[in-house]
Amino acid sequence: MTRNFANWPIVLVLLIISTPIIIMYAFLVIDTVTTSPPGSAIPNGFTLSHWRFLIDPTATGDVWRPTLTTILFTASIVVIVLGISSTAGYALSRLNMPFRRYFLAVVLVMHAFPLVTLIIGVFLVLQFVGLYNTLTGVVLVKAGLMLPFGIWIMKGFYDTVPWEIEMAGVQDGASRFTVWRKLILPQVKPGLFALALFAAIDAWGEYMLPRILAPSADFEVLSIYLNTVSDPDSTTYNFNLFKSVGLFYTLPILALYAIFRDRLMNIFGGGTKG
Amino acid sequence: MTVSSLIKSAALAATLLASTAVLASAKDVTISVWAGGTGPTNDYRVEAIKMAAEILEREAKIRGEDLNITVEGQTWTTWDDFKQAVTLAAESNTAPNIIVSGHEDIGTWSQSGLLRPIEDYVDFDAWPLNQLYPNLIDVSSFDGRIWGIPQDAEARPFFFSRSHLKAIGYSDADIDALPAKVESGEYTLYSLLDDAKKMQDAKVVEPGKGFMPRPSNGTDYWQFYLSFGGEFTDAESGKLILDKQALTEMYQFFVDAVEKGVVPATYLGMTWDSWHDAVAHDKAGIWHGGTWHKAEWEAKWGLNDFFGQIQYSLIPAGNEKGRANTITHPLVYLLSTAGTDEDATLAAELITIASEPRINTLHAVKSGHLAVGSAQADIPLYANDRWTTAATEQLLPHATALPNDPDFGVIWKAMYRGLESAWTKTSSVADAVNSVESEINASLGNKVVIR
Amino acid sequence: MPARSYLTGLAFLSPALFVLIGFFFLPVVLTAVFAFTNMSTSTGISGGSYVITGNLLGSLKAQGVAPTVVDALSQASFVVDEQSIAKAQAAGTDAQFLAEIEQQLSGKAFSEERAFERELKSLRYRPRSIRDLKLAVDQFELSVLNTRFASAAEAREAVSELVPSAPADVVDEIVDASYTGWRWTTSNFTRLVSSSDTWRLVGNTIFYVAVTLSFTVFVGLFLAVTTFYLPAGAASAFSMLWLLPRITPVVLYTVMWKWFTWEGGFVYTAAQALGLPAFNYMKGSVPTAWTIVIMVNGFIGAAFAMILFSGALKAIPVQQLWASEADGASRWQQIRFIILPHLRWPILFVVSYQTLSLLSSYQEIWLTTNGGPGRTTTVWALESFNTALNSYTGNLQYGLGAAMALILVIVGVALSILYLRLFRFDELLSRPKIEF
Repeated sequence: MTRNFANWPIVLVLLIISTPIIIMYAFLVIDTVTTSPPGSAIPNGFTLSHWRFLIDPTATGDVWRPTLTTILFTASIVVIVLGISSTAGYALSRLNMPFRRYFLAVVLVMHAFPLVTLIIGVFLVLQFVGLYNTLTGVVLVKAGLMLPFGIWIMKGFYDTVPWEIEMAGVQDGASRFTVWRKLILPQVKPGLFALALFAAIDAWGEYMLPRILAPSADFEVLSIYLNTVSDPDSTTYNFNLFKSVGLFYTLPILALYAIFRDRLMNIFGGGTKG
Repeated sequence: MTVSSLIKSAALAATLLASTAVLASAKDVTISVWAGGTGPTNDYRVEAIKMAAEILEREAKIRGEDLNITVEGQTWTTWDDFKQAVTLAAESNTAPNIIVSGHEDIGTWSQSGLLRPIEDYVDFDAWPLNQLYPNLIDVSSFDGRIWGIPQDAEARPFFFSRSHLKAIGYSDADIDALPAKVESGEYTLYSLLDDAKKMQDAKVVEPGKGFMPRPSNGTDYWQFYLSFGGEFTDAESGKLILDKQALTEMYQFFVDAVEKGVVPATYLGMTWDSWHDAVAHDKAGIWHGGTWHKAEWEAKWGLNDFFGQIQYSLIPAGNEKGRANTITHPLVYLLSTAGTDEDATLAAELITIASEPRINTLHAVKSGHLAVGSAQADIPLYANDRWTTAATEQLLPHATALPNDPDFGVIWKAMYRGLESAWTKTSSVADAVNSVESEINASLGNKVVIR
Repeated sequence: MPARSYLTGLAFLSPALFVLIGFFFLPVVLTAVFAFTNMSTSTGISGGSYVITGNLLGSLKAQGVAPTVVDALSQASFVVDEQSIAKAQAAGTDAQFLAEIEQQLSGKAFSEERAFERELKSLRYRPRSIRDLKLAVDQFELSVLNTRFASAAEAREAVSELVPSAPADVVDEIVDASYTGWRWTTSNFTRLVSSSDTWRLVGNTIFYVAVTLSFTVFVGLFLAVTTFYLPAGAASAFSMLWLLPRITPVVLYTVMWKWFTWEGGFVYTAAQALGLPAFNYMKGSVPTAWTIVIMVNGFIGAAFAMILFSGALKAIPVQQLWASEADGASRWQQIRFIILPHLRWPILFVVSYQTLSLLSSYQEIWLTTNGGPGRTTTVWALESFNTALNSYTGNLQYGLGAAMALILVIVGVALSILYLRLFRFDELLSRPKIEF
């Protein structure tokens, strides 16, 4: 449809406003394999030494333990978010119950209201149930934080499933639970997948909650690890090293993003189904 | 046999078993130590406790006991994260056994029940605690009780670049006489601004680098309050004092410094890296820091000839009401209420051993801190270190410390906030002082004397 | 049977309810409760105890509280008599040691703990451990000074026992003043209203939200519209690029901005090479600090807006655009008369959603300028976090911080309700078609 317009001015303007991103991310990659003289951003040599942290724990401390912890952290959050959102979304989309209207409204309000402002209250709850300074505690809080969004998204996906499927199931005498599990869940698989991706990316990048709710615990997620590496007071401080660790940390996300871009696009614009 | 007597005998049997088990097998204890504001040069804050544990284990072995102490150390390079972690951990009953923090936390933490008074666990009449400086013990006390054992002390001096002073007409003799002139009050904070300006005019330092104060909040800024005659506590009532006049003059000093162009209006919040880079590489004219910074400049910033490159002095007086001064801000070993009394007793023993002059000297010299006890002057490592000896002799006698009052944090926060708004010219000096006053009035009321 | 279907619904909802109540509802309630207390590090969260200290007695005396009682309480004394020896015996003090104390020190009284301790240290059968000695000393103490009483009743009893002549109301007053825990108060709110700082914060916050939001919407709009006109390949390259800030972990993202704008960073080096003013842009001047804060947050928001707008644009019938081009419409006219009207609702949505999330976001500001230089880029949410949980001086003011958070919650809920009306929430609900 662009027959009578030229494209290059647009591309040029887009390139200009995108410069900060292009430069930051280009150098994020370039700096990890090069050295540059002080006072200059132009690299003058190729090296793999910034990546030595992968095999040499003396560079920044063992990186693999935090990586495993982060995988565990992310996986638990994804499982919890999927499990709870898929049941609650179904209930809100299909089931008859009191206060449904209000519950939906509350979920919407929560959705727009990050939990971090209530962190003192959260701390007290965790402390009360004995989960302060534990991985479980942080996982639960983070999952709770994502739930309003997850429930809302899943409700949207359930809303698009035709009622006929369910009617048929119910008429065959199956319980609502069986109908949900056997007939409806398979219909919302794309939704589940997208939500899983989103939750994984979000959980992978989480930083505040572990830092505040588990400051002295014996586990460390990659965000905290990276922050330690970025501390200028540390003796191992080195920007290129930091970028290498940072890139290592972000690679899984970038990979997920590159592979499943379209599905993610759907959910990043999420919450707008209504 | 009734149920209750059955339980009783079972309990008795269990106790007996347990006690024999203790006798027969090794005793394992874990002591946790958390330290704030601790970087690589300060690692002896925790290492000393580990060394003490080893000594204690050896002593136990000689007595025929099998004692295994695991010391779990955790350090934070910053203060805010550390204090947050300690406070929240204490609320959830997971505080460490030993806390290494600034002495000013004693007031707050003792009131909230986070600390055990260490005087109930150690003997200040016996070696090595009996050689600790009495004024440092006072600094570790609050409300008539000794809560902590000083871990290090320091002074926070002014530093001058010798080469830049020469560039504006100082002779070597003038530079050597400078500290005495500062001490007598002849050389004031305003003389310093003039000199910084001259250095900038002579183009030996870049504009805005003539005077480089501490880039972030810290004890240091109270020194300027003292320079203008401010006081912390009312000797008579023991109440905290806020001297509005001194505060006004102190804020005005920094505003004047900005007007002169020797320090930028947006200076506060600058990174420590840029600061270290400037002062250690002789790009700054005059600055202030701590005795421990020398260690950092040498370890990390490639400073070789400290005494040849840099002159140091007390913080100059601001006017005739004030005096040249420096603040010492000892860190203290504190004993938390976490764990059993037995653990606390052991932790206190570890702290006592860690205060042995030889062990404490390792920390003092490595990190550029000063001795906590008089016997350290006889330890060769300490005695042969020119910097620690010089600072101990020339600076420490003039040192004051912050009060341990639990409400002092509120005043401090308000003071720094006012300084920020006056410095960045967000508000006028008078408005800044007034909002400090109203802030303190609102939160502390008559607990503070404002004059 | 509505009851049964209700149960099914609740059963499906219960896990969500459980987590949401625990980690959303309860924290909100707690925040609301704390907002009306003077809770801080020194009062503790979980409650206090009753401690009569020297300082406390001093200030009570200055206030004119019965000087005789106060004086009597400030005397610490260590008395060796039958009673205290019996007490020590019951507490398990070593018998030989106790016999020695009785023999040598019976009838003596000490006003200083140190002096009594020194006496004990000179005894032959003193315990080997200093801690045991101190525990023995405690048994001889006749004083309530510095003792932590768990309840007011215990404290009252101890005070009356020590000073039997003290009137009950004086004892009550002293015990009440000795409470170390938090108390109910509304002063957090009066303080916030009276402080000039508050209004500066409000101003900063409004500025931050308004400008970042405009940035988000305009850049998002620009990206969506331009990529709409570009060939698919180029369009997807740009949208991929702009999504990067949104998916990059915040720790890495903010440090990349530091690398970009700090001393020795990219812009710094480039500016130096070009002879432009080079300094730490993130912290060195107020306008540059704000610019960076807005860009850091705006880039994340712009990606979000772009996706929403692009999605809405795809719904425009292509024939309509072709027709307008055939009619000779310029590109601007096309945007003005076809595209923008189509984007009205998505824009409104982005505005409302982003207002809420910007109001409560502080993570990016905290990790970049940290509210500086001075406190010029400090916003409400960051200040609330700093007050409650992040303080260099170590005195965390939970009560005041909670009051600030509560105000944010109220503003957020009010805005949300407004938005729900705006977007005709009722239309989102379709009644369940199966009810049995």
